[in-house]
This record gives sequence, C-alpha cells and structure tokens, in this order.
Amino acid sequence: MADLATDVLVVGSGAGGAITAAALARAGRTVTVVEEGPWVPADAMEPFSLEEMVAKYRHRGPAGALGNPAIAYVEGRCVGGSTEINSGLYHRLPEYLAAEWRSTYAIEEFSPEALGGYADRVEAELSVAPLPGAPPPSSAALERGATKLGWRNVDFARVFSYDAQGRGTKQTMSRTMIPRAVASGATVIPECRVVRLLRRGDRIVGARCRRTHPGGGVERLTIKAEHVFVCGGAIHSPALLQRSGIWRNIGNGLKMHPTIKIAARFPHPVDHGDVPTHRITEFSPFVAIGGSISRKGDVALALADTGAPFADALADWENISVYYAAIRSDGSGRVAALRGVRSPLVTYSLSEGDMSRLARGLVHLGELLLAAGATELHPSVAGGTIVRRPEELGSWWDQVTRARATIMTVHLTSSVRMGENRARTGADSFGRVWGYSNLRVNDASLIPDAPGVNPQAAIMALATRNCDHFLAGS
Amino acid sequence: MLWFEREVVGALTESPDQPLRSSVEAFVDGYLRDMPEHLRAGVAGESVLLGTYVAALRRTGRIPAGDAAALTTLVDKWETSRIGVLRSYAKVMKSMVLLAENELAPAGGA
Repeated sequence: MADLATDVLVVGSGAGGAITAAALARAGRTVTVVEEGPWVPADAMEPFSLEEMVAKYRHRGPAGALGNPAIAYVEGRCVGGSTEINSGLYHRLPEYLAAEWRSTYAIEEFSPEALGGYADRVEAELSVAPLPGAPPPSSAALERGATKLGWRNVDFARVFSYDAQGRGTKQTMSRTMIPRAVASGATVIPECRVVRLLRRGDRIVGARCRRTHPGGGVERLTIKAEHVFVCGGAIHSPALLQRSGIWRNIGNGLKMHPTIKIAARFPHPVDHGDVPTHRITEFSPFVAIGGSISRKGDVALALADTGAPFADALADWENISVYYAAIRSDGSGRVAALRGVRSPLVTYSLSEGDMSRLARGLVHLGELLLAAGATELHPSVAGGTIVRRPEELGSWWDQVTRARATIMTVHLTSSVRMGENRARTGADSFGRVWGYSNLRVNDASLIPDAPGVNPQAAIMALATRNCDHFLAGS
Repeated sequence: MLWFEREVVGALTESPDQPLRSSVEAFVDGYLRDMPEHLRAGVAGESVLLGTYVAALRRTGRIPAGDAAALTTLVDKWETSRIGVLRSYAKVMKSMVLLAENELAPAGGA
C-alpha cells in the first residue's frame, strides 16, 4: 500500500474540482487531485461519438434513476468530468433564484451582486462567447419558430473560444483549469477511485483510494490531507460522504431537469456535429426549449421512441434534428450508497405537476418546430402521435404519461444543499460539511434547487466563491 | 453478457455485416458490464427469466427455434407491456443496439 501526503485533496476534476484545484494551487497550497476516470487527450476523440461515450462517460452511457418513470441520466467520468462531454452552454444563475435561495436556505454572501462578481471572474478566466456568424440550420430553426410565434429566445453563450475563421474549441477543464492547476504545482492522479474518507473526530485525515495503473494493476493508496474538497458531482459526492459514514442531509433532495424530446424532420438538411445554441426562454424558468446532439445514432434513438416503424424517416436522417423541452422539476430524488457496491442507488420521483409541465413543454416544442418549417414530429412517447399539422398536437396532452414518456436528464444538482438552515442543508454557506472542520463539497451538489438553466456557470461561480472563502479563513 | 442477452442483441441487430454485428455485440457487452451493479443485477435477472420463458415457448412450438424475427417481435411486445421493468428491459436492449448499429456502421452503411 502506498502513502501520499498533501495539504489539499480535491476529489473529482470537473467544473467544481478543476476550478478548486487551480484556485488553491495558485494560492500556493499543495494540491492533489484524484479523478476516478482516465485522462483522455483533449483532441483524441470526435465530440459526441460512441468512442467518446465509451471512454469518457460513467458506465459507458446512460444510467437510470429509479422511479415511475425511470429517468436516464449521464455523467462524465474522466479528467475534466462532465465539461468534457457537455455542450458547453453557459448561463448565469438567474438573479431571482439567488435571492429566493438566499432566503429559503439562509445562505450567506449569496447576493446576486456577489455571485455576479464571481461569474465575471469565471468568464474572464475561461473564454465565454456566443457563436460567431450565422447560426447553423438546427439552431436557426429554433430562432425562426420563436420569431414566428413571438416567443422570447436567446442565442446562448458557450464556454468556447473561436478563432478568426469562427472555428470553436470547447474550453473544457482538461484544456483550461486542470493544466493551470498543474502549472501552479498541483498533482493530478487519474484512474484513482476514493473508496472512503478517513475520519478522526470532527476532521477528515485522508482518503483510502484504489488506483488503476495503465497495465491494469490495482494499487491501494492512502492519501493523507489537511483539507478535503469533494467535487464528484451530485451523484458521487453524496455517495462518497455516505460511504465514509456521513449521512446527515446528504443525498436527499436531489434535483434535475427532466427532459422530453422530439425528432423533427425538415424539408432540407440540418447540421449534426454540434448542439444548437438557441434556447426558447418564453416559458422560463419552468420549461426551457432547446436542441440536442443529433448524430445518426441519436436520431435513430429519438425516432424509435414512438414504437412506430421509422425506417423511412431514418433513411432521411440528414434532414432530422432532435430537440427537447426541459422542465424545472418540483419532484425530488435521493442518492444512497449501498454497502459493498460501487454505484449508489439513485431514485427520483416526478410530481404530477412535473408530468403536466412535460406535456406542456412537448406541445410548445411541437408548435415551435412546425412554425419553423418541420414537416414531421416524432415525440419521445410510446404510441405517441407522429404530428404533421398543428391541430394534431393536442393529442400529446393525454399521451405524456408515466408509462409512455421517455424521460432523460443531463443536469443533476442539490444532493448536498448549502446554507445556514441546518434542517435543510448538508453543508454551510460555503460548502463545509456540517460536523467536519476540514471537509468541503464544491460542486453541483451544493446548488439548493434546480436552476432551470444549464448549471455549469453556477457551479463554476460557486466553486470560485467557496475557494476565496477557504483561502481567506485558513 | 448472458446467453439470452447475446441472442437478443443478435436478433435486434439488422445488419448482416459480420464485423459490424460483432462490434455492436462488443459495445452492448461493455455497456452491460459497466452498468451500476443493482441495475445490472436486475437486467441479468430478467434475462434469465425471459430466456427461460422463450426457451419454453420454443419447446412447445409456439415460436420456432432460432427465429430472430420471432424474438424481435417478442421484444417489441415487451416494450409496450404494462409491466414497467419489462418495458425498461426491452428499451435498454433496443436502445443500445440501435445506437451502436447506427454509430458504428461505416458512412453510407446500415
């Protein structure tokens, strides 16, 4: 068994972990980052390809939150975490939510102005920019449909840098903050799973890990640390705390943005290599409408959901793009570590209101796509009507049921909520886990509720803020 | 991958191209192996039960042995079953095969 010692141990290297590692290493702290997944070179794989899914996704693809209905979700598991596999969309936390959460959860230093300052710093550090030039056809369709219907829409910025020719490069954590952390002296250990944290009284003294070497050999590793930041995401941060015997308000209150989809067929070819950047904000924050990746495999999956024959449509896949309606759920879920099992049990319960919002979102999305010129809409609903005219959309209201709808999500939050209201939170206003003086969470788990927008910007701003607080106090 | 899962993947893969069929099977095999353990246990349990059921159907002559189309029809039926876990089983197997077959096929193929 090998032993290492470090000042700060950061568990996980995604949006929270990488920002934490870079901030603390730059401040002169000795930082060690452990990441369960591999370190995949940034340009080694085609974005959104099956090869990328196998290499960078946890479980090589979707996992499921059990419930009625079960909800598929995906997470990154590689150096850089989910920033390596997401669309890079960037949206600041809506100010009214910050104000609401500050009051509900008694969160200190959580004013919209304070958070705005941290967001400014994140945006200056990472390149956050809108797509230059005209939008591609899949994104233009959203803008066109919204304009015809008079709905509000936005071309979202992304964490991308663009060259003079307009070619974009996603500024993932493995391209940006991880190299910056390493340049400031941090050590990154990939393929190293933290089995559990080692407790002594109200302190964490280290972590017991299993490191897999390139040849396949597995080594037990104990890392002693003065401070530990757990940044494994909304599923795996609470699971690690629970495996370490820390359960109070940990893992309950999981939130997500449940999503329902439509494969839309157009009379012209659409693009398939990237995600549309336009979003419809007319029904925000409860329903958001946007576009998904639409490679041939994704189109095939979306077409298959109705259960109707789809060979004709699939043959025309280059004219098809996949779109979604995502809701801000008032249901909630739970993460529970199971003894002797690597993966936690994840459950989620959609409320009746959620089911109604999903149906509403699907119908609005259908209206939009028909207004944009789509000729055929395939909803992700078993037995769902394949719609060609606006008057057919009404049939979907009764078809979106728990037994028939295919629901998935890519946004998971709120499993270790922060705030001074101890009855409702697992960590204080700056991520310090209640009952432990040197244990912090610094990722999506802290966000007290589903933000209704891509949570990446909120995670990064919070992580920056919490690092400042840690450095000021230690 | 259990024997019945291999049979289901083979039945659901449409392409006659043997290298592609092998790649699809390898992808689904890897996906099943990497599933969260509790989900994998559920899928494996269903595979044993459903495999036994299909074997019984074949023994009694209700579906012909080795008929991939008949097995595909059964999986389609499970996908619309009133039993949630049966629906999920069919959905997982069909989705993974469909995704892999369409993503792994050479451009212009499948």
